[in-house]
Amino acid sequence: MKKTLALLLVLILTLSMTAMASAEPVKLVIAARGGSHVDVINAVKADFEKENNCTIEVLGLENTDLKQKMALDSRNAKGAYDIVMLDDPWMPEVTEAGLLLNLTQAGYADDADFVKTSLALGKAPYGTGDTFALPFAGNVTLLFYNEAVLSAAGAQVPDSWQGVLDIAKAVNGKDGKIGYVIRGQQGNPIVGDFLPVLWAYGGDIFDADWNVLVDSAEAKAALNLYIELLANGKNFEKNDIVSSVANGTAAMSLGWPSWYIVGGASTAGYAKIPGKAAPDSVEYPSGVIGNWLMGIPANTQNTELAIKLLTYLTSAATQKAAASVGAVPTRVSVFTDAELSQKYPFYATLLAATEQSVERPRTPKWGDIENVFGIELSNAITGIKTVDQALADAKVAIENAIK
Amino acid sequence: MRETLVSRGTRKLLVAVFMVWTMFPVYWMLSLAIRGGGELFGALNLLPRSFSLEHFADLFNTKAFDVAIGNSLQVTLISLLLALLFGMSCAYVLARARFRFKMKGAMLFWVLLLRILPPIAFALPLYILMSDAGLLSTKIPLILSHLLINIPFIIWFMITFFEALPIEVEESAAVDGATEHQLFTRIVIPQVLPGLTAVSILAFMTSWNEYLYAAIFVQSPSQFTIPLALSTLNSEQELTQWGNIAAGGVLSLVPIALFVLFAQNFLIVGLSGGAVKE
Amino acid sequence: MKKKNSLYAYLMSSPAMLVITVLSIFPLLFIIWYSMTDYYYLSRAKPAFIGLQNYKKLFADPYFRQALGNTLRFTALAVFFEVLLGLMVSVLVKSVKQGQKLMRTLTLLPTLLPPVTVALVWQIMLSNNFGLINNLLGVFGFAPVNWLLDVNTAFYAILVIDIWQYTPFAFLLLYAAMQGIPEGQYEAAAMDGASKWAQFRFVTVPNISRNIVMVMLLRVIDTFRLFDKVNILTKGGPANTTATITQYIYHNGVNMFKVGYGSAASVVMTLIILVLAYGYIRQSFNARKRALKG
Repeated sequence: MKKTLALLLVLILTLSMTAMASAEPVKLVIAARGGSHVDVINAVKADFEKENNCTIEVLGLENTDLKQKMALDSRNAKGAYDIVMLDDPWMPEVTEAGLLLNLTQAGYADDADFVKTSLALGKAPYGTGDTFALPFAGNVTLLFYNEAVLSAAGAQVPDSWQGVLDIAKAVNGKDGKIGYVIRGQQGNPIVGDFLPVLWAYGGDIFDADWNVLVDSAEAKAALNLYIELLANGKNFEKNDIVSSVANGTAAMSLGWPSWYIVGGASTAGYAKIPGKAAPDSVEYPSGVIGNWLMGIPANTQNTELAIKLLTYLTSAATQKAAASVGAVPTRVSVFTDAELSQKYPFYATLLAATEQSVERPRTPKWGDIENVFGIELSNAITGIKTVDQALADAKVAIENAIK
Repeated sequence: MRETLVSRGTRKLLVAVFMVWTMFPVYWMLSLAIRGGGELFGALNLLPRSFSLEHFADLFNTKAFDVAIGNSLQVTLISLLLALLFGMSCAYVLARARFRFKMKGAMLFWVLLLRILPPIAFALPLYILMSDAGLLSTKIPLILSHLLINIPFIIWFMITFFEALPIEVEESAAVDGATEHQLFTRIVIPQVLPGLTAVSILAFMTSWNEYLYAAIFVQSPSQFTIPLALSTLNSEQELTQWGNIAAGGVLSLVPIALFVLFAQNFLIVGLSGGAVKE
Repeated sequence: MKKKNSLYAYLMSSPAMLVITVLSIFPLLFIIWYSMTDYYYLSRAKPAFIGLQNYKKLFADPYFRQALGNTLRFTALAVFFEVLLGLMVSVLVKSVKQGQKLMRTLTLLPTLLPPVTVALVWQIMLSNNFGLINNLLGVFGFAPVNWLLDVNTAFYAILVIDIWQYTPFAFLLLYAAMQGIPEGQYEAAAMDGASKWAQFRFVTVPNISRNIVMVMLLRVIDTFRLFDKVNILTKGGPANTTATITQYIYHNGVNMFKVGYGSAASVVMTLIILVLAYGYIRQSFNARKRALKG
């Protein structure tokens, strides 16, 4: 009996020692936004895996699930993720809760090659604080138009919203054409679609002291114009917008480049979003910037390697290689790279628009604000409430949200 | 003896209309899944102009759909078996009057209450529970949460089936010396086979399409179930991939459809048995 | 014999009861407790007890009240039509006597589809540009309708999709129930000179009234949880006309991590369904109590 026990003990010890001794490659897990971003990461990870003897697993989730996962896992002493992707409006609530590793304190030095407005998104406080996340995928809203429709109407690409409206009026209804398409679906779509107009009119949701300005004269003017655009056009959801503008049924609309531009070719003309109300008004930056950032959870178990991977995934070389699988860069050098610019002519416009873009208000309550603002905007464009009433109610609701 | 309200021909027509109305979107989904990618932009014709399996291929090659199908099958079948085993046993003793025990009334109410509670409220506390128990890297949380969904449903549904059985059969078998358990396994269960089949199909479907708990418990792409894999096909900053979504729907439908096809003989008789008056 | 019965009963019922109780007792207490706190998941501070403030805030929020109203209205309409249509189709199918097995299998398919797929397939069918429905309207000379974005049609579009998906479910259950009605009753009624309509009113309906109630209850519980279709197709709009309670809970409790507030909304939702289901619960409870004594 004793002998068997001893043998067994030795066996177990040997087995466990061999298990420990074998060089298990470290596994890094990335929590990412499902879809094309996962494809991009999977396309570029091989070299890093080889060089650092690790395996990289990418968990692709839908928006809210990703946000939820990040938050839930942050409570665990040992984090399950080494890199997380986040939509830039999440930064304030995520950094306020201390979910991300402070990269600056961990020794990361800011890279000036990143587009300034993109890099600013990853800092907490916005623009001035330490860096907590790096921009991984670039995106900014642009004006998309159908070249044939515009030239048939004898119009140039407009640089003011009055100009947009004039073209819309000229085109709408003739030959079954649509002047302008708004993306009026309640919530995030309509807010994203309306903000450029609001900004171009000199309005905003908040002022520097977080007073709510949605019922200002500028905001009312902007919303009235927006409703007039609808009167000379239609209200569609994303897929219908793209197909209308692309095949010439509609003249113009705002949108994300990734909707129209696949590979190097765009299915519609594109330009910076007009930043002025009328041709002689003051010009404001007006494109909405929307970047997917990448950060490291504070409770990661592989800090050193995670930082290395983060740097690798956002490096110029990787972004250049990833361009061919549909990734949009966030670095000036990649945007201006000669070879890429030839293949992807839209880079120039995208870079200029990004540098001139505006970020959505940096508050942990943005989700709530977007929700209620979206409801009231929808009330306004459907005529359920007057513009004044809708904006007044929006003001009350937003003030409640940030209390 | 008045004439029937509507002529026979019209009635057949109405039934046909109902069938077309019900099946058409399913057909549409199938047709989208097999059209080539190019055809999916612009006006769509009633019948597909092209035939391509590229969407199915894409799902398996780039979206790891095979993993998702495997996981869905594993989770659904395991939880279904356990739920049926536990649920049937419990429903039987709750239904039969001869089993008197103190907790009966409370159990009945508890089961009804759990059927009514919205799953969304349970997601976070269950996550905390599983996380503290260190089970998150396994399939156990998902299987357990599916048990939580299906057991009350199975008990509640099967009680009516058991109650509909005439007690005489069991009584005469008992007189012949059968034990309680023999009564259950040899006499009662064969009689409720139809009801059992009906409830299995419905429970299978609930578990198969379950998304909320799958999303909150998943830790790695190797744990994806089909609904999770489908959810990532619809993204805000990209155009909707209709072909893939349709193909995903078709693939999701196949296992359940097969199950139903085999069980159809039992299904209706079963559903009627459970619906009989108390 | 009685004692052995008891033991057997406990043995048979304990696995099920154990599993569901262990899994649900903590969440239930969690929801009830935290609904009375200001628990914000991302906060480093401990949640503070705030009594019924969350509930007050809920009912003071016009968007919650709107979501509540929408959900009640939607549930009432959806269940009514699903049961009515299910009943009508059952009668039709029973009288036609052909191809019933095939129909019973095929009509289950809509109910078996994943909610995401149902929503997206209907989205493409209702689309302004690729949409079959608008194309069909065009063929007949009508202008296309912006089904999901027009404030007058969005609610009803979602309603129709839901009715489409679950009428077969009602049909199957009611049809099966009808098959259990003895033919003799119909023959007797016919001999008394009853018309088909009278036969329906006095033979069919009384026999399956319990089933109709059960189908209604099942659908009420499930329709009240409406979320996926609305979340994907309309996001609660336009003008908040398709917002539902579950969507409200999801946004506040999940998206914004306001666990306390979200729990309060969940409690309210549960209480409402309990009220709606009260009639059935009491009836089945009493029926069993009678059986217990019998």
